[in-house]
Amino acid sequence: MSKFMVIGERIHCISPAIRQAFADRNPDPILLRAKEQLTAGADYLDLNIGPAERDGEDLMQWGVKLLQENFDNVPLALDTANMKAIEAGIKVYNRAKGKPIVNSADAGDRIGYLDLAAANDAMCIALCSKEGVPADNDERIMYCSELLERGMEHGMEPTDMLFDPLFIVIKGMQDKLMDVLEAIQMITDMGLLTTGGLSNVSNGAPKHIRPLLDSATIAMAIQCGFSSAIVNPCDRRLMETVVACDIIKNNILYADSVLEF
Amino acid sequence: MPYKRTEQKFNGKINVCEIGAGDAAISIGGEKTLPFLGDEGFKTAVGIAISDAPEDWADCFKTIYGDDLKNPAAFAKAAVEKSGADFILVKLASADPNGADNSVENCVATAVAVEAAVEVPVVIEGCKNAEKDAKLLEAVAKALENKNVVLFSAVEDNYKTIGAAGAMAYGQKVSAESAVDINLAKQLNILLTQLGVKSQDIVMDVGSAAAGYGFEYVASTMDRIRLAGLGQNDESLQMPIITDVSSDSWSVKESVFTEAEAPEWGNLEARGIGMEVTTAAACVVGGSNAIIVRHPESAKTIKSMIAGLIG
Repeated sequence: MSKFMVIGERIHCISPAIRQAFADRNPDPILLRAKEQLTAGADYLDLNIGPAERDGEDLMQWGVKLLQENFDNVPLALDTANMKAIEAGIKVYNRAKGKPIVNSADAGDRIGYLDLAAANDAMCIALCSKEGVPADNDERIMYCSELLERGMEHGMEPTDMLFDPLFIVIKGMQDKLMDVLEAIQMITDMGLLTTGGLSNVSNGAPKHIRPLLDSATIAMAIQCGFSSAIVNPCDRRLMETVVACDIIKNNILYADSVLEF
Repeated sequence: MPYKRTEQKFNGKINVCEIGAGDAAISIGGEKTLPFLGDEGFKTAVGIAISDAPEDWADCFKTIYGDDLKNPAAFAKAAVEKSGADFILVKLASADPNGADNSVENCVATAVAVEAAVEVPVVIEGCKNAEKDAKLLEAVAKALENKNVVLFSAVEDNYKTIGAAGAMAYGQKVSAESAVDINLAKQLNILLTQLGVKSQDIVMDVGSAAAGYGFEYVASTMDRIRLAGLGQNDESLQMPIITDVSSDSWSVKESVFTEAEAPEWGNLEARGIGMEVTTAAACVVGGSNAIIVRHPESAKTIKSMIAGLIG
């Protein structure tokens, strides 16, 4: 088994500092967040430029080049509602360290993102949903199958699709969280890879509680086969949990100093 | 159903480590696959071992080297000539505080004389006493500055001294010894790297055992180290492996019992070479990037095996 893949979520236009940096094409705040995440152990970085309707293509190309030139062609997930911007980003993307990830397709209006990934030999995050959060695992698996079929029709390798079961928030939907873990197990049993926005689980919980909920959730999810996640790698507790899980699953070799990353 | 060939793809690559200086320098490592499966010119280097205290070596070595056995520089020259080895290992066994307890100064002089006598890279081994080796290998590193020798080896109890002095202050290569303990192999590499030693300056002495004496464990250790480095792209295990099989091979009953003690086993020299070649061959196909033997015939045999495997 390969080790758990961490996609760093912190270059996101929802942050005012990053949004401003995008607008001004100011590299410093973006490079700083990239460095923090890579030092903390991120494998991929998510580059979320938001809707970017106006200058998305230019902005995405600027961001891709900025990050890859400064961090040894770090592999990236290209994240925006503007499909042209993703395509533009892939044009300047260097694949030396891994394929680009298109973030994201779903079984509804966003199914075209899968076609886009297939046409550009990219990986794709495939949300197991159509409109909003799926009601149960029958729905999740139905959407998963639809997406798998669509991707394969377009020539994608199944392992280039990362299926996201959609984590739900504990505060409000606590009784549904075990369903998500079960879905991960079912998707894994189909021989497929999974991912997900983990931070959603602890959304709204106090700051000191979130790392605990997130790391317990990820450990339980990894036991079910969870293979990657979009997370905040600067959460030390979470990253230590991921490494410990990788050791227990024999994905990486143990050494006494293994947590000194 | 048509046959579908599946290939295991590795992301990792073993570091290239250069040893020796000037025209004598050689490179080990650099492979992207398990041994001999790639097309990147994987080639194991073969070294010949000498010692400054060979009194307990089998009698055949007295016949081969004669009086040169008593003079490390002459011994080194003869060993390289007779074996055609790519590099030499000098064991400063006389330094052992529980043995002859030879002084650091004397042993350094031996190392310097050996280095001057040969035209191949030099690997320098202490006496396997951690405290003495720290002082000895530090002094050797200083005396042979810019010669790019391998200090063989740093262990958990002395890696700070040997790592700091050898690789950082005097530009030598450091071997990290882990005695067939895969987790310790990784740990020592992490510790040396944290100390500031560049990973390109580290080689791994992951240990060995004579064939038939628990070698399965050596084989699985080497396999797991290589698979972690190549398959999991674990940077803390991408150092080339250097293995000395000479002492183990020549200290088991098959290579020690005299012809009088075990007449049915035949010629002792042939038995020793047999043990050594068998063990060395197993290490070479297991992933050793540099292999060290004692008998010149063993060196020639392993060299021709490697040439044959590469084709």
